[in-house]
Amino acid sequence: MTETIERDSAPPAGQPGPGPRLPQILGPIETAQWLWRRLRRMSTALWLLFGLAAASVVATFIPQEPVIPTTVESWRAGIEGPGPEVAAAFDALSLFDVYGSWWFMTVVVLLFVSLTGCLLPRWRAFVRSVRRQPVKGRRLDELSNAVAYHSTRDPEAALAAVDEVLRRRRFRRRAVSADATESGDAQIAAERGHAREGGSLVFHSAFYVLLVGILVAQSFGFIGQVNVAEGQTFTDTRISYDLAEPGPLFGLDAHRGFSVRLDDFDVGWFPDGTPERFVSTVTVLEDGQELRTEEVEVNHRLEHAGMNVYQMRFGMAPLLTVSSGDTMLYEDQLTLSQADADTWSGVAKVSVADPQIALEVLLVPSFAVEDGEVINRGPAPDEPRLFANLWVGDLGLERPVPSSEFDREGGERVDAVELGEGETAEILDGAIEVGFSELTMWSGFQVGHQPGRSILLASGVLVLAGLIPSLYAYRRRVWAEARPTPEGSRVVLAGVALHRKDAFDDEYAALADDVAQALGAEQRPVEPGEATVEPGDVRSEAEEPTR
Amino acid sequence: MAEFYDAQLGSLSHTLFNTALVAYLVSMVGYFFRMAYTRVAADGSSVSTTVGRRIGQAATALALAGAAVHLASIVLRGVAADRVPWANMYEYSSALALLAVLVGLVVLQRRLGLGHLMGFVLALSIVTMAIGLMLYTDPGPVVPSLQSYWIQIHVTAAMVASSIFMVAFAATALYLVKDTAERRVAARSGSVYGGSTVGAASVTSEADGQPDDRLDGDADEARYASPLAQRQVLSPVLFPLVPFAVVLAFVLVVWRAPVAALLAASVAALVGILTWYAVPHLPPAATLDTVAYRTVAFGFPIWTFAVIAGAIWAEEAWGRFWGWDPKETGSFFTWVLYAGYLHARATHGWRGRRAAWIGVLAFVALMVTYYAVNLFVVGLHSYAGV
Ligand code: HEM
Repeated sequence: MTETIERDSAPPAGQPGPGPRLPQILGPIETAQWLWRRLRRMSTALWLLFGLAAASVVATFIPQEPVIPTTVESWRAGIEGPGPEVAAAFDALSLFDVYGSWWFMTVVVLLFVSLTGCLLPRWRAFVRSVRRQPVKGRRLDELSNAVAYHSTRDPEAALAAVDEVLRRRRFRRRAVSADATESGDAQIAAERGHAREGGSLVFHSAFYVLLVGILVAQSFGFIGQVNVAEGQTFTDTRISYDLAEPGPLFGLDAHRGFSVRLDDFDVGWFPDGTPERFVSTVTVLEDGQELRTEEVEVNHRLEHAGMNVYQMRFGMAPLLTVSSGDTMLYEDQLTLSQADADTWSGVAKVSVADPQIALEVLLVPSFAVEDGEVINRGPAPDEPRLFANLWVGDLGLERPVPSSEFDREGGERVDAVELGEGETAEILDGAIEVGFSELTMWSGFQVGHQPGRSILLASGVLVLAGLIPSLYAYRRRVWAEARPTPEGSRVVLAGVALHRKDAFDDEYAALADDVAQALGAEQRPVEPGEATVEPGDVRSEAEEPTR
Repeated sequence: MAEFYDAQLGSLSHTLFNTALVAYLVSMVGYFFRMAYTRVAADGSSVSTTVGRRIGQAATALALAGAAVHLASIVLRGVAADRVPWANMYEYSSALALLAVLVGLVVLQRRLGLGHLMGFVLALSIVTMAIGLMLYTDPGPVVPSLQSYWIQIHVTAAMVASSIFMVAFAATALYLVKDTAERRVAARSGSVYGGSTVGAASVTSEADGQPDDRLDGDADEARYASPLAQRQVLSPVLFPLVPFAVVLAFVLVVWRAPVAALLAASVAALVGILTWYAVPHLPPAATLDTVAYRTVAFGFPIWTFAVIAGAIWAEEAWGRFWGWDPKETGSFFTWVLYAGYLHARATHGWRGRRAAWIGVLAFVALMVTYYAVNLFVVGLHSYAGV
């Protein structure tokens, strides 16, 4: 692999100064080094973040197949959206499934590689700097934040008092003996604010925890959806779900095999027709044994054997019978879905054999007639009324289409009937009897196995726990030196800020006041020192390693 | 079933809302007057004349009174609907505007001592409330999924963070304006100008373990230019025209209401021309940049927390932490952009104007996430209705 060296700033340390910009052929090791250096740059991370952002803009405004598949279908068919050609182009770039696309994965992988490239050296440097003792200060008198005190205590006692103040303010302190300082006075060197870099590292590292959590959840997890009518039971096996999305490592035998029976379903309504609250009362069974009965509602799930059962949807499920003479053709609670604000609809597949028979059902929950027109008075099923059409012919019922659809073209509507709850009626001149025995409800559950939850929560906690100090902790260095005087000692307190210098003046003033109190001495400006220095020039061994 | 909601309380609440809106309007004018009577020295220190101070105090009093009335309006709305009063877009806009005024008063005016910028914050609040008015609905019930305390935590945190970002946006936009003026004046007078925050003070220090192009420390070095010349280098036509066009287009596209669009656009144009006039009275660009950074740094963890709380709620209600529904995607986008802003502020070659533009973009993303996603895109979150 060949690359051209790109120098957009100074040449890396250890290389000769800028020469002619000749393309150079890099060997594999140099290429790797170049890539590593590239990935470690903040601007690389920034561009990758923009990549993530760009992906999510696309996903906000283009419907996503995993979220709303029906809309995507109608975009593809050209019923909605910019047209089928554009949709085909979107498909080629997998824009209908941005988060499952190869290019999104690439950005994420690169981001993590870049993160690793950033974090490894930063962690190493951080550990080194935390281990290192606070650095000694030199020529404290000349720092812009410096005050002096004339104390009656001897240097040792004075420094002990200052040390206590610094300890209370959670500074890391080191005593430097008089023969080790430049001035020949005993010193306390103190610093704080490692939490800034530490927090930043924790924050960034938390993304690995997040990644692990997501991988665990996706690989070992399971999500299934199932609709059950009152009195009916579903069992936790793959085939009993209407829709199952197992993770690649969640096998068929990973299902727990317990059963859940819907004993009762209750819904209350707001006057505007939206549901106020809906609750499923369910009983958990294992091997036919009833274990416990619980209420499941939105925001209150049922947990059993590592599976969580969530309340999702609900609807009406009239118990219908269709018979011909003495033979019962159909007897079931038919799951209806809401057709519009006022009606519920569904199709009962009465006979799949030749000739196929289907009962198309429309239900008005609170039926009334006003000025000769059928109206619905409200969402609650106070006066349920069922309108059914009987279809016969080649209806395509044998095909695995959604249960509410059938092929109208292939058959013929032979008769219609209108029923109240508990009523039966004969149609086709008495050849067939249709009954609406009772109105029951159905409840739609999502059943999930969600491992990695605690990992995900932990990553959230780490993100916040790291972020806050990384933004609000500031590094400060403070020194105190005490020189013996006839009355006791002269203490100089000095400090520098490595971040947020604007906030330091106030902090320093508060610290100086505390020290004055602790020493029982007044603070006064330091006398000008002998040496001439530029203001703001920090006289400390700040960035020099001790050894 | 009992009464749907208390109509009398509801309409009282709405009257108080309108009262607060008027109070903010007058207060905003007062703050702008105060600014006109304020002189900003090159080092960023500012002096107001006696008249300016008096008007400023009256404006502050009025803003506080407006906020109190506004708070009463929100509380009454909650009582009327018998639930937390932030469950649809009118209520959200109302609460957001109140929070922004409070953040402005507490953070900008009290803590940072930049009270004369409050006029801009009030302008943003007024726009938010105007949008709220266009989306007005009677207090209605909330769907069952919202009856969880995690969602309350989530929404509250998101609103608080958004209001802080609103103040940050005012500072960022003003920074861009002021910085442009400072640069142009410097360019005219022939001096070399590196920008307020990208000057010599922010050259990379090769700290151990740090990325190659990372910046360290705060930049405080800046060169300031002659204040009044700053107005002359900016176009008095573009300043009202651009906000006018943007707001007009936005309102027309979203609500298709030409009268409202013209009105809102005129207000935006007014704020634009006021901004032009105010340029010499603004604090130095470096100060505005610092204010922008510090407010974003204040809002970002709260926004992060809001996103996390939202994920926890989604897991409780829907059985998944994250489903990439449009609202979730939008808030993730906003989060990434603000993270990008914080990064850019620490990256060589990005600090200053480029970072500020990311900040502007992030705020636009925040607004789009809230308004456009709810109005245009369907997802689980569209429960909140209009
Ligand atoms: C997973 C994607 C990332 C996100 C969401 C993110 C977010 C952030 C945020 C919000 C900050 C500001 C808070 C703080 O100081 O800790 C920050 C700082 C920082 N990030 Fe990242 N970051 C990401 C990846 C990276 C990468 C790949 C690098 C390596 C180049 C990096 C290097 C840094 C550095 C050095 C700082 C400290 C800047 C300062 O001095 O304040 N980050 N990051």
